[in-house]
Amino acid sequence: MPARVRVLGWVAVIAASLSLSVVAAFDDGGAETDAERIERLSDSFACPECRGQSVAESNAAVAATIRQFIADSVTDGATDTEIRDQLVASYEARVLLNPPADGFASLIWVLPVVLVVLGAVGVGAAITGNRGRDRQVSDEDIELLARARSRSGGDHS
Amino acid sequence: MNAIIGFGFVTLGLAASVLGAAGGTYALLTGRLYLLRTVRQWVWLILLAAVGAFTVMEVALFQRDYEIAFVSQVGSDSTPPLFNFAALWSALEGSLLLWTLVLSGYLAAMMVKFRHRRNDELLGWALVVMLVITTFFFALMVGPANPFVTTEVEPGFTGPGPNPLLQNHILVAFHPPMLYLGYVGFSVPFAFAVAALITGRLGEGWLVETRRWTVAAWGFLTAGIILGAWWSYEVLGWGGYWAWDPVENASILPWLTGTAYIHSVMVQERRGMLRVWNLSLVCATFCLTILGTFLTRSGVVESVHAFSDGPVGPWLLTFFGLSAGATVLLIGWRGDQLRSTGLIDAPASREASFLANNLLFGAMAFVILLGTVFPLLAEAWDGSRLTIGSPYFDSMARPIGLALLFLMAIAPVLPWRKASTEVLSVRLFWPAVIGVVSMALALLLGGRGIYPVITFGLGGFAAGAAARQVVLATRRQGWRGLVGRTNGGMIVHLGVVALAVGLAASESYKSDRTVQLAVGETATVEGHEFRYLEPGADINDRRLRTFALIEIDGDDVYAPATTNYRQVGMIVPTPSVRTGFTEDVYLVLDEVPEPGSDRIRLRVIIRPMVAWIWGGGFLMAVGTVLALFPGRRRRGTEPVSAALPDGGSTSSEPAEPEATPDLDRLEPVPAGGRAPLEDWAGAADDDVSAPVGGGDG
Repeated sequence: MPARVRVLGWVAVIAASLSLSVVAAFDDGGAETDAERIERLSDSFACPECRGQSVAESNAAVAATIRQFIADSVTDGATDTEIRDQLVASYEARVLLNPPADGFASLIWVLPVVLVVLGAVGVGAAITGNRGRDRQVSDEDIELLARARSRSGGDHS
Repeated sequence: MNAIIGFGFVTLGLAASVLGAAGGTYALLTGRLYLLRTVRQWVWLILLAAVGAFTVMEVALFQRDYEIAFVSQVGSDSTPPLFNFAALWSALEGSLLLWTLVLSGYLAAMMVKFRHRRNDELLGWALVVMLVITTFFFALMVGPANPFVTTEVEPGFTGPGPNPLLQNHILVAFHPPMLYLGYVGFSVPFAFAVAALITGRLGEGWLVETRRWTVAAWGFLTAGIILGAWWSYEVLGWGGYWAWDPVENASILPWLTGTAYIHSVMVQERRGMLRVWNLSLVCATFCLTILGTFLTRSGVVESVHAFSDGPVGPWLLTFFGLSAGATVLLIGWRGDQLRSTGLIDAPASREASFLANNLLFGAMAFVILLGTVFPLLAEAWDGSRLTIGSPYFDSMARPIGLALLFLMAIAPVLPWRKASTEVLSVRLFWPAVIGVVSMALALLLGGRGIYPVITFGLGGFAAGAAARQVVLATRRQGWRGLVGRTNGGMIVHLGVVALAVGLAASESYKSDRTVQLAVGETATVEGHEFRYLEPGADINDRRLRTFALIEIDGDDVYAPATTNYRQVGMIVPTPSVRTGFTEDVYLVLDEVPEPGSDRIRLRVIIRPMVAWIWGGGFLMAVGTVLALFPGRRRRGTEPVSAALPDGGSTSSEPAEPEATPDLDRLEPVPAGGRAPLEDWAGAADDDVSAPVGGGDG
């Protein structure tokens, strides 16, 4: 493939992937139905007695109660925040599967970011720190290479 | 009687381990290497003890020897043979028997494999480390978690049988042994790493020795984790396969560091770099298997499927602390000998991509570990009770996973040392086209949402890059293009892509509805019709199964059920799944049907492409096996330096093998001017990374 065609090809590939991503992100297939909303909310609350399972996953009685509460609230037109606040009032913070982002608990969001940034800086330093250093090829190296090449029939040129 | 024999075997194992470890250490410290031969006998005795103890327990389970407390906890008269056999690993003490059996197997295999190097210090220390590990596990069984404790039962006692969730699916017989083969397998590279640190033979020799062991352990762990996910999907009845449960997290942690290791180790073999990092990864992998066992077996982190907790917590924590502390000290002690001999030349190079890979795997492992132990930390800090569940893990794992997919597309085509834009634009063009086509296809088929569609795009990109390597290799080498580490690795990558696509599709486009049905009624969910034909029940002395016959789309009949295990008095839902290439229909009864009532509450979960996850796992296993076979051997006369600037270049396209046979994969001499493996000349016997540079020995 000639170089110019390839450049055009890459432009097309990048443009296509960007526009397809935009379509995927913004065409969400219509407004959320009540059933979809119930499903999403059930996925986002923990069953308080089931050690980390969501109320959607759990078969426990209390999970069924909360599922029913969510379904009723959605039908009554309550907002997500109202449902969340009511559940926290009844079952405390452990009903939230997503930890809060304040106080001590915020560390769970902050620490990974700090670590990745530090790691990336470290890796970056490991790579760039070595660049530009002179690498001398000694005569001995060149001779060794020449010998190796002639032994293997010289088809590596 | 069984109890006495069994305990005898366990004690024998402990004694042989202690004597072997002590004898080996004495021989090594005093330099009387001929004494190392005696270690051999101790190893055979340990294997005998482990096999014996395991066998005695199985015999006791089949004889229903309820005098043994363990049998009276997990055995029953009515358990079918397969589940009775698997009952051994359904609780703590028995799992330790399986663990020791696998560990002793690896120990014996190591000794047989390296039998010709009996006087080698490195091997001697590796055996001693393994013997210390067997000492610990036998000691657990002699002391706090003795499987052969006896008890008194009333006459007529018939036993409860294993946990109901562990006696209704055949995968219970395969998932734990696979997982243990993986977990325990990482002891071998760990033992060699520690031995290298002790002897100071820190060249690349120990890596080459343990390469296949590591890859095999990784393959077992992968298979074990995926079989576990499959078991969870088929048995637990919530329609998912991965819940970010502490037990699951404990299994994925060593997998992540192990995966990082089997990638970064290639940098060390090629370039002699990253020595400290690789040693740390091997040791971290081993320590994480112990930490994971501690987290799940001590009851400190509650989990839905921690099937047992016992008094072994403090022991495991101590052992974890000792292993971690010892390796940190050893690495510190040898620090001056671990300086790298090479340098990374460019950000666009194979070695730099492996560094990025390690950063991502490390970040993923950190996030999962943090999320798993954070509730403990929070409770210790201010007494607050938090739940860290799937939303947290998902939101962290998704971006990291996408970055890994992207890297998986780029890295395989990158040459070592330095890549030019030209090379990349040629090699990546068709993979990128495949990626865009995948995105377009996903949108055409109705897929929406930025995460899944980008996953499909990057998946196509990565699959294209992997397929390109496989195609080029088979074109050049025939069937040999499918074996060896590099080629097998690409098959594994294809499996990972299938798995990632399956995960994205089944998580993003799942629908979950609960419907009420009376006999004869039909409900429609997502275009499928579900007709309730009739209820039914079957009873035996083990269980009472109540089911509902459901016809899907006027065609196949499925029978979701609830099963009451009578000896335990526990009712579990038993889902029924229609598995398909593009979509799974998962039926589960939401409550036990009232006797006499003709109504049921049926939960219908529809998830696309779940089968791709299992298929991807299968492909990963196949790729691992292919990677274990020796690949193409390189001729000793081929040059190992990068070509001179005026000749070919390090970036030549391997598509034209006749003219430039694979120059980008030739071994460069590290900057220090010495080849890696100087202290281990000729040790490797297999694939393309064989140390030609040191091949004069």
